[in-house]
Amino acid sequence: MPLVLKIAWRNIWRHKGKCLVIGLILFLGAFFMTVGNSIISGMNAGLTENIVNSFTGDIVIISDEQDHNNVLLDMMSGKPLKVIRNYEAVEQVMDDALVHAFLPATAGVVMGLEPGAEMITYMLLGVNIERYQQMFPGNFRVTEGRVFNSGERGILIPELVRTASYEFLDYWFVPQGESLVVENLMEDAFAYKHSLELRSDLVFMGSSHSGSFFDVQVPVTGIIEYRALNKIWGNYAIVDIESFREAHNYVTGADSAIEVSEDRLDLLALNAFDELFDFDDLLADTVVEGDSFNFEELQQAFVREDSPLDLDAGSFNLVFVKLAEGVSQKDGLAHLNQVFSDNNLNVRAVSWQDSVGLIGSMAVMVKAALNIFVMCIFFVAIIIIMNTLSMAALERVTEIGMMRAIGARKGFLKTMFLCETGMLSFFFGGLGIAAGVTLVYFLRAANITTENEILQLVYGGNSFHPILTATDFLIGVTELGIVTVLSVLYPLRVVGKIVPLDAVARD
Amino acid sequence: MSVISVKRVERDYPLGKTTVHALRGVDLEIPEGSFFSIIGPSGSGKTTLLNIIGCIDNPTAGTVSIDGEETTKLNDKQITDLRLHKLGFIFQNFNLIPVLNVWENVEFPLLLMKTHRKKEIKARVEKLIAAVGLEQHAHHKPAELSGGQRQRVAIARALVTNPKIILADEPTANLDSETSHSILKLMRDLNETEKTTFVFSTHDPDVLKYAKSIVQIKDGKLVHAEEEVI
Repeated sequence: MPLVLKIAWRNIWRHKGKCLVIGLILFLGAFFMTVGNSIISGMNAGLTENIVNSFTGDIVIISDEQDHNNVLLDMMSGKPLKVIRNYEAVEQVMDDALVHAFLPATAGVVMGLEPGAEMITYMLLGVNIERYQQMFPGNFRVTEGRVFNSGERGILIPELVRTASYEFLDYWFVPQGESLVVENLMEDAFAYKHSLELRSDLVFMGSSHSGSFFDVQVPVTGIIEYRALNKIWGNYAIVDIESFREAHNYVTGADSAIEVSEDRLDLLALNAFDELFDFDDLLADTVVEGDSFNFEELQQAFVREDSPLDLDAGSFNLVFVKLAEGVSQKDGLAHLNQVFSDNNLNVRAVSWQDSVGLIGSMAVMVKAALNIFVMCIFFVAIIIIMNTLSMAALERVTEIGMMRAIGARKGFLKTMFLCETGMLSFFFGGLGIAAGVTLVYFLRAANITTENEILQLVYGGNSFHPILTATDFLIGVTELGIVTVLSVLYPLRVVGKIVPLDAVARD
Repeated sequence: MSVISVKRVERDYPLGKTTVHALRGVDLEIPEGSFFSIIGPSGSGKTTLLNIIGCIDNPTAGTVSIDGEETTKLNDKQITDLRLHKLGFIFQNFNLIPVLNVWENVEFPLLLMKTHRKKEIKARVEKLIAAVGLEQHAHHKPAELSGGQRQRVAIARALVTNPKIILADEPTANLDSETSHSILKLMRDLNETEKTTFVFSTHDPDVLKYAKSIVQIKDGKLVHAEEEVI
């Protein structure tokens, strides 16, 4: 064993007490750093999986006319989201290599219409369900009923919304064609299971930008539960996009499919109101055949047919974007916004964090708090170890001074001190990391779950799944190395200042 | 030829608002192979003079040359190398490395030099441990040795690099008289066999009978010199 290591090793055993103190700090520092980093990684992975991969994508594209970016969870302002006016051009941009997948959609708040009852609001996400399930596969499970088909009218009511509806309006949603599943009833409703008012459709009313209101009736085809963060996403019912568009007076896929003849287009192009009626043959005599009209027949005649439509042909108010692997959100945002700006598309790309407002900020804050916690451990460990090592150096002035007197260079003594700390760091820090890894393993195995929204953000989902990746392990080792080096810097300065005379002076 | 040359060396220490003049213009030439004693009462400046000769302390004024090299012009690394290669130290309190055993303590300066092979180191350490009579204690730690044995280890360690000069500051101060005599006899024998220059300080009159040359120091000035006491 090299001389310097031999002396360092034996000095550790000679100063067991101090070394144990330093070792304990290193152990705790490494332990907490490992666990802290694992929690941060788990949170990151959870948020990526449960928000980015399941609900928002990395980026959300919204109209440039939109006055705020929080388009998904701040809908109580009453203002409907602005429509993306040139979606076709935006869609062409989505061919970019940076974009992995995208989903145009509509989001907004509607009023539930219930004669004689209180008004209740619903948050709706209008989507082409086929594309939605491709974009966010498996992000919800159907607890009752089924998912409506692409092109079919229908709404998926989350359990949370069903419960809220019961609490406010005293009725219980049951999917169309399904019977009541007693086991799924909430406790209060269970007591009234025989007299419970059941509903299999929802009539809701949306508002257009011009202030006009339109109501739509859609069948409830299924009851769903989101896979994670149900307390947050569970407020969103998923509705077929055409119903959403009709309720908000958006251009629907059906509208887009209407072919207007040239002469009608000419007519529509007329500006002067009088010209519209300036025809000699505006009124003509005619003979009415038949004398009775059936209301149902009339109604049938005016119902829009659920014919196969190009659902992507209508209006959207947002586009969810998943970036290609390896593309950072920052780069993706900068690139897309540049392209949008260069082409005057009147849209902007915002981060998922911005699109979910407070939730996104809280996720960032929780992450920052965890990072600060780890940094505090880091800092406290450095201060305590530095202090203890400096004391140790000062207590060994005679020994170090004597070594200098008989020919040891400053470098030798600094290396000796560094080796002592390094050995302690390697052993106790290693133990700390091992203990941290073990705890992370047990925490994962324990599968701790929570219903608390804040904790769900800390966990990055419904369950606490800290993750220790190879990168985290390397970060932990690097942090330990940095703690060791930083904490030994000042003591090394102290050692460097010890001169041979100190050995003699102490005599 | 002088192996140590001290010219007009002064050493002042600030003490509060006053200045202590530890050495006041000391001139001293010590020939190679001497067994040289600096005597004087406590506080006379013996240790300061030895420290300055041993490049442990710097003079306020004057020059010191070791083996023809003026030490006051050297930087820290050069001084450290000079101490390693040309000087050996024996301290009043032995000052051994507590975590190393006798063998390792003696071996320590040779390992710092990084110029000797393992075989050479082994032979040299073995010879010196035998010379100081500690063969049976080679693997003992300093804490397991008596004062006299520790000082023997210190002597062996000082001699192991084959230095030109060994400086010993009151080497027998913490030893009983019998052990003191045996240590001084050992130093004297090594002086004769190894031809190493020994410079030691003492205020013990009994020690003086071993010295070949003596200088007396008082209030920081050399007051008397005596050649070949024995």
